Amino acid sequence: MGSISFRNVDKTFGAGAIKALEGINLEIADKEFVAIVGPSGCGKTTCLRMVAGFEAASSGDVLVNGKAVTAPGPDRAVVFQQFALFPWKTVRENIDLGLRNKNLPAAAREEAIAGALRLMSLESHADAFPHQLSGGMQQRVAIARAYVLDPVVLLMDEPFGALDAQTRVVMQEELVRLARRNPRTVLFITHAVEEAVYLADRVAIMTRRPGRIKEVLDIRTVRQSENWDSHPKIEDVMDLESFVHLRTHIWKSLREEKGFRDV
Amino acid sequence: MTLAGKRKAVIGLTTLGGVIALWFLTTAVTGLVSGARFPSPAEFWTSLSQISGRGYAGATLLSHALHSLKLVAMGFAVAVLTGVPLGLWMGWSRRVEAFVNPVFLIIRPIPPLAWIPLAILWLGLGDAAKIMVIWFSAFVPSVINAFTGVRNIDRPVLEAARMLGTPRWRMVREVIAPAASPMIFTGLRLSLQASWTTLVAAELVGALVGVGFVLNMAQQDIYPGMILVGMLTVGVLGWATTVILAWIERRALAWNVAARD
Repeated sequence: MGSISFRNVDKTFGAGAIKALEGINLEIADKEFVAIVGPSGCGKTTCLRMVAGFEAASSGDVLVNGKAVTAPGPDRAVVFQQFALFPWKTVRENIDLGLRNKNLPAAAREEAIAGALRLMSLESHADAFPHQLSGGMQQRVAIARAYVLDPVVLLMDEPFGALDAQTRVVMQEELVRLARRNPRTVLFITHAVEEAVYLADRVAIMTRRPGRIKEVLDIRTVRQSENWDSHPKIEDVMDLESFVHLRTHIWKSLREEKGFRDV
Repeated sequence: MTLAGKRKAVIGLTTLGGVIALWFLTTAVTGLVSGARFPSPAEFWTSLSQISGRGYAGATLLSHALHSLKLVAMGFAVAVLTGVPLGLWMGWSRRVEAFVNPVFLIIRPIPPLAWIPLAILWLGLGDAAKIMVIWFSAFVPSVINAFTGVRNIDRPVLEAARMLGTPRWRMVREVIAPAASPMIFTGLRLSLQASWTTLVAAELVGALVGVGFVLNMAQQDIYPGMILVGMLTVGVLGWATTVILAWIERRALAWNVAARD
């Protein structure tokens, strides 16, 4: 089980000086993949950080499985835009830390690490240090480190934002395969509209600051009826009329936002 | 060795040779600088042989050097073992910083050498006083750099560790300390430098053995050759310990040095 609920969530920073989020309501069901898109500075990352337990809501409730979030924990694994690997640890040690923190026996950890390495095609890099890997590879390690925890929810904060365009496409395709084969609850933050439509079951569109949820689009129904997943390549999906239609709808919705600059 | 490294070594040796040649020229060959002010290479050699064999100021050069080295090693070790943990702690906890910082701000501007009279008053002319003064001087850079190292850790790295459920002690040992270690080593280098500076000063003021004591005696004996021997001994010892520290740093920070390249 892994549901996420935002109930009337407000967030202000700096003793009320900056109102970041206003009246956020969003229910994410178990094993649902929800992407939040919005203009820069709209507070979408703050939403994720509240689920992760890095920030507290100023008012309202942020719930995971019906329980209020109080602190960060391995049940809510985070993948950061800047990877946030431990550069002094090898790939294997990076993945192992969370398992050691769970006090798992060595054999179980070995097995879990091997599985995570296989999942992200990292077998031949297990003993490399992060600086020896490309950006895409580093982000694979970060995803493996998150997946290996077997988290209730997976929180991805613009995970492909720091990658070059080609690597990004590969990672997006891989994440789709991963999510369809092994579905789990994902909250995915991005400012790339195509990415959101391609990956998510639903896309929540936010307004500029103070961020509110303007509209939630159901992508999954369209994906299933138009059979998107029969196309293994992202560019083929992006060419489909149903995809273009949804994308254009989101673009227009975002463009209405004043202060819209670099979505 | 790389080509650039070889070039650098050749240039370095050439400079060194040039300085020695100049020394030879100005003292022994032309007599431009009189032996009463600065020793000729021959006089230096005589002094070096004397202190190495018969001894000077109560002991041989080796004993003096080893004694000084021992004091630096002890003072430096005590400073690092107390300073780095305190710096890490201050960096980690705003409350500890709030408590310690005011004291630190007052003590920090006092030059370490100003502690020497008090140290001698408390602990006499023996080793304990010198270790204390070295401790004070080497402590400050260790604390400040460890502190800065912690404060400069990328926030996502800390958040990742917290997200992974890392318990407190493991957090310090496996995340905070390694993340701050490049800065910690910067602090150690400065601490080591400070240790040598302070040691020589402390031995100049009050000691019965050690390189600083050799310098002090040679000055009283108006013995330029022996003064130069003392100075160069400090130089060589300081250089050697710095090389050892750099070697340890390279090994400990392999993940970081390679990242910089």
